[in-house]
Amino acid sequence: MNRYLGFSLGLLLLAGCSGDASEQGFAGLAGLEQSAAGETPYLQPGPGDRLAFPADFGPHPQHRIEWWYLTANLETTDGEPLGVQWTQFRQALQPRVASKPAPDSTAWPLQAAWMAHGAVSWKGKHYFTEKLARGDMGNAGATAVPFQVWLDNWRLQGNANNDRWQLQAAGEGWSYDLMLAIHGEPVGHGNKGFSAKSAGGEGSMYFSLVDIAITGEVVLEGKALEVSGKGWFDREWSSQLLKTGQKGWDWFALHLDSGDKLMAFQLRDDSGSFRSGTWLPAEGDPIPLSSEEVGVKALERRKGVPVRWQLSVPAYQVNLELSAPPGDYLNAGLYPYWESPVEVSGSHSGVGYMELTGYAD
Amino acid sequence: MTESLLAVRGLSKHFVSGNETVPVIEKLTFTLDQGLSLALVGRSGSGKSTLLNLLCGLESPDAGTIVMQGQVFDAGSAATREKAAAWASLRRQQIGVVFQEANLMPALTLLENVRFRAQLAGRDPANSEDWLTRLDIGDLARRYPDQVSGGQRQRAALAMVFAMEPALILADEPTGSLDRQTAAEVAQVLFDLQARYCCGLILATHDAELAAGCQQLLDLGHLSAV
Amino acid sequence: MKRLMSLLPSLPALPIPWALLSHYRRHPLQLLALATMIVLATMLWTGVNQLTSQARASLEQSEQTVAERQQVVRDNGQALMVEDFVSLRLAGVCVMPWLEVTPASGNRIIGIDPLAAHCFGAGASRGGDQPLDGKPFVDMSTAASAGEAHLYLLTPDSTQDSDLPAAYHLKTFATGPETGELGDSFLLNLEALGVLVLLITALLLRSVYLLGLAQRRDSFALLHRFGVSPGQVQRWLVLEIIALALICVVPGVWLGRWLAAGLGGGFGQALDGLFDIPLYAGHGQGWITPVLVMLTVVVIACLGDLLLLRFRERLSLSVPNQGRLATALLLAGLVMAWLAPSLPWAFVAVALVFAGAAWLTPATVTHFANWRADQSKAPLARWRYRELAVLARRLTLPLVALQFALAMVLAVQALVTTFEDTFDRWLAQRLEAAYYIEVPVGADSRKAADWLTSKQVSNPGMNWHQVIRGSTRMTDKAAASSQQVDVYALAPISTLITGWGLLEAEDHPWEALAGNKGVMINEQLARRQTLGAGDTLQLVLDEQTRDMRILGVYPDYGRPVGEVLMNAEALPENFIARSESFSITPGELGITPVTDGLKRIWSVETLSMRDNSTIRELATGVFDQTFALTRAMTLLTLILAASALLMMGWVFFTTRAWYFRLLVVWGMSQQEVAGQLLRLALALTGGIALLALPLGVWLTWVLVHRINPLAFGWSLPMAVYPTFWLELGALSLAIGLSIAVLMRRQLGKPSVAPVSASALTGGER
Repeated sequence: MNRYLGFSLGLLLLAGCSGDASEQGFAGLAGLEQSAAGETPYLQPGPGDRLAFPADFGPHPQHRIEWWYLTANLETTDGEPLGVQWTQFRQALQPRVASKPAPDSTAWPLQAAWMAHGAVSWKGKHYFTEKLARGDMGNAGATAVPFQVWLDNWRLQGNANNDRWQLQAAGEGWSYDLMLAIHGEPVGHGNKGFSAKSAGGEGSMYFSLVDIAITGEVVLEGKALEVSGKGWFDREWSSQLLKTGQKGWDWFALHLDSGDKLMAFQLRDDSGSFRSGTWLPAEGDPIPLSSEEVGVKALERRKGVPVRWQLSVPAYQVNLELSAPPGDYLNAGLYPYWESPVEVSGSHSGVGYMELTGYAD
Repeated sequence: MTESLLAVRGLSKHFVSGNETVPVIEKLTFTLDQGLSLALVGRSGSGKSTLLNLLCGLESPDAGTIVMQGQVFDAGSAATREKAAAWASLRRQQIGVVFQEANLMPALTLLENVRFRAQLAGRDPANSEDWLTRLDIGDLARRYPDQVSGGQRQRAALAMVFAMEPALILADEPTGSLDRQTAAEVAQVLFDLQARYCCGLILATHDAELAAGCQQLLDLGHLSAV
Repeated sequence: MKRLMSLLPSLPALPIPWALLSHYRRHPLQLLALATMIVLATMLWTGVNQLTSQARASLEQSEQTVAERQQVVRDNGQALMVEDFVSLRLAGVCVMPWLEVTPASGNRIIGIDPLAAHCFGAGASRGGDQPLDGKPFVDMSTAASAGEAHLYLLTPDSTQDSDLPAAYHLKTFATGPETGELGDSFLLNLEALGVLVLLITALLLRSVYLLGLAQRRDSFALLHRFGVSPGQVQRWLVLEIIALALICVVPGVWLGRWLAAGLGGGFGQALDGLFDIPLYAGHGQGWITPVLVMLTVVVIACLGDLLLLRFRERLSLSVPNQGRLATALLLAGLVMAWLAPSLPWAFVAVALVFAGAAWLTPATVTHFANWRADQSKAPLARWRYRELAVLARRLTLPLVALQFALAMVLAVQALVTTFEDTFDRWLAQRLEAAYYIEVPVGADSRKAADWLTSKQVSNPGMNWHQVIRGSTRMTDKAAASSQQVDVYALAPISTLITGWGLLEAEDHPWEALAGNKGVMINEQLARRQTLGAGDTLQLVLDEQTRDMRILGVYPDYGRPVGEVLMNAEALPENFIARSESFSITPGELGITPVTDGLKRIWSVETLSMRDNSTIRELATGVFDQTFALTRAMTLLTLILAASALLMMGWVFFTTRAWYFRLLVVWGMSQQEVAGQLLRLALALTGGIALLALPLGVWLTWVLVHRINPLAFGWSLPMAVYPTFWLELGALSLAIGLSIAVLMRRQLGKPSVAPVSASALTGGER
């Protein structure tokens, strides 16, 4: 789900240019901006909204925030686990109706800011790079057909059928070039793609590709490693996600050895947590999980960050213990958060990824 | 006017302390003739130093008249500046003042001190060294005040006073800080020279023996009590 | 004293400190004076130090930033477009757009993109907490709509030519004059002065403390009589001063930081404007350093002799003959400063000279005064000179402090004026014309030159020359070795350049240069190769070594590279120019017809042009601020020194009041005595000012001619400012006058007795 972090980056950076933006707090947490008459408003997803493909692989310029997000639990030829993350965020500073043409790049428009994160986790080491760009210039963007998402020389690109993707990214000390084979249809979370993020009904449009076979090459400190494994791809967009008072989130996406998959998250709050998830049995349709159906409990902390968790879905006899490998997986960008592979034990075994925000400060 | 060196008539001086006026000298009248000495006695605070200050113009009386060598100084007369100038001129040339201590400029040698005083008075400084010799401190002429004893300093002070050839010497406890033996020697020198050079001397002292050496006696304590 | 005695019977609990402190109960002003002096001194030094260290930190950052500046340009010389930015970014090259816009009205603004700047690394990501809120920096979108713009693409230092796609290459990028070394030099000098301020501070503290001790002599004697050992008293005094220092240093440091913050606004702005780097609050030193330094200074200044005496006793050294030693120190310092091979030696030399001067000054005044006294026939004059001798001895510390302060102010004034002047000339040299216009790659500069010549005929106010920069080799006079030198070739030799001041020159050097009869070299090259006007230089031009006569040496404030200024006619046809440009002052014609004309001749749409007047305005403005600040700091030092002398002088004169009254008793009028006192005080402070003069001039010389060349390899022109000497002299006399006025008031009061019996026997002379 939700990497949604600090996309207020652009807001902060350009506070001088868009005076009201900084008032919105962290990525528009403080509520929907009142748009003046005649101005284009931000669109807010609601329970009746439906997903549309292939258009929803592309950007949603009238929504405030969105991201394309891939995590992968890979192995080297030696059987050594290796985690890969790639994420690209878009934050609108000014909404635009999707049908309207993009502004002229010679005017250096400032309607959107893009941020990309790339990370590789291997043998307790964590490589992370952050890139930023201004939207509508040409060096950062996304299109649905052909499917591609790019920022400078980082690029995720699909083939004509959109079932084979190539992902290339590089940072200091690391790079990867991966081939992704996409299996299965997109899975809409929550109510057919509308994923509630609070009891009050605020939420986002959220779908995933959960069956991705990955092969390729990861280069670390000049050393090339051949890798293969499984990936999990998320698309999410909204104009408002967190309510005031929500401090951060804990998100998990797991590939269980039984062939089942599980996505679960909780949004932490002063008064408790809002939880949600999707149970994806090996056979059969995905089943949305309500807040009451998911149990999440932190078991052990490392430098303040919970690195061992208990995750349970009693209705499906799921009682898992998740643990991050040794090491520090903090993505130390403008808005630090934890992003690490996890090993699953308990009622099921398996691998997965977790993202924890709101602990770094 | 009389022939006297100094005539004092009805001299009064008070100090104001808060709202109270404290009389220090009241209606004092006396005369001193040329060549005579007068001892000024009285207990501490009876106004001896004040009277000496009045007699050399360092303070002004509240009432009365001082006639010094024919010059009349009235308490009431208005021309203060001129009066001050007249007194300054008298102090410079006619009135020698000796205090209990610190009569010498510390940065000048004994000889330089005597010369300085003589030159201020307009006298020939050439005799300065003689004066020191006459006072038995000729060999200390080039010493500084802090390099000689208290008695020697007072002798130098006397040399200074006599080098200016004064008509009147005002001495305020000149031997007060000296031991008995030295005090007696210094007093003897003072009386001898005063007699030889025939100048007037007013000597304020607690010392009855010293007072007895003077020809006249003025008891301020007694007078103020009357 | 009576109170002290009455206290003593109730002593058992804390007898000694009680007795010691009771002195201050009777004389609270003395305690206040000492405390105030510690606070003020701490504030002064902390302020100066804080400013310099902040400035240094800021400068270091700016140097990093300047070092990171390089740009990507097209091989074909065409202006860069948005497409270039996009294709470079897509190729993975970190480039940041820098859009310079000169609006139809108003100042030049610069558009930048903080998002693109992110790849510049930690240095640039500071943008995150530094929103774009002020001119000249605005967001790209704002700048792009403001008027005609020129796009640059900056790239970090780590980018190499091999990282770039074909059709692009790297080029240095300068936004304005780089003042690196000039600024550094200024800061070094400022730091040297900071050390001096510390010294002055220590002297002042010591003088006030010793005065207090002298006034407490009676109390100590009494304690001694009561059976307290001197060692015990000393220990309590140490504790007392440490406690007092602790109480006073902290607010002093706080005030100093406050002062620095207040003044730093201006200073920061100056550096900001100069080096494009804001002065961040809190980049100066923390609390610990200034507090510890000042505590140490206070303890050493006040109790140093206790420690020193112990030390001396341990080594059983005899006290050296001060006059001779002082002279030896002074001479050694002077010689060392002359010959110093490196910076530390120069600083040691300065320390030696100041130590020698500090020792010699009071002795000199005393000797001179005694000599004059011996010469004087007039009794009053003799008395006055003798008193002056005593004064000079008794007020040694505050006088030396004042002398140092005066010398420092003098040096700072000369230095600042020199720097101002240098900056002016340096700006004039770097920005010799109102506009610089780059010749586009492939464009014909000769056509442009012809056109400009024709334009000049009808516009006599117009002035221009063509600048060709490149490099060549120069062979060593003796050896077969050769080294690279920069070539700075001009044609024609216009009046834009003939106004430059030359360090040395033959007769009519500019005419000779115009006639292509030789070359000029910069100071750096002259120093390194020990070349001068009239010498011959061998340059490799067109594969041949040619002898060139050196017509003159021009100052080049801080350019580390050797440079040869020559007539462009001397360059061979195949000379590879690194850059070609025109320096143009259009006069009444205005720049637009010139740029339009050049665009037409070169068939280009945009010109790369720099408007120097705004740069000059900015630079001048910010330097004015910096210099004003420096002057304010030195003035503060002077005021502190002056008030210390005033205070000490007043106390001293009070102890002498009896003797001045004695003059009245001896028949001088009060006016006459006051006149004598005035002459005495004026002689004292005037004499000190006179003695400070050579020290100040020498200090200026050392800073400008010794320390600067040793530190940076180039010298500043040294100038002296007699008018300012007169001003300082007048100030010194004003201090003397103030002392005399205070004394005049003392004379009016009847002083009944000399200060004390013990005071009469010692130290009066």
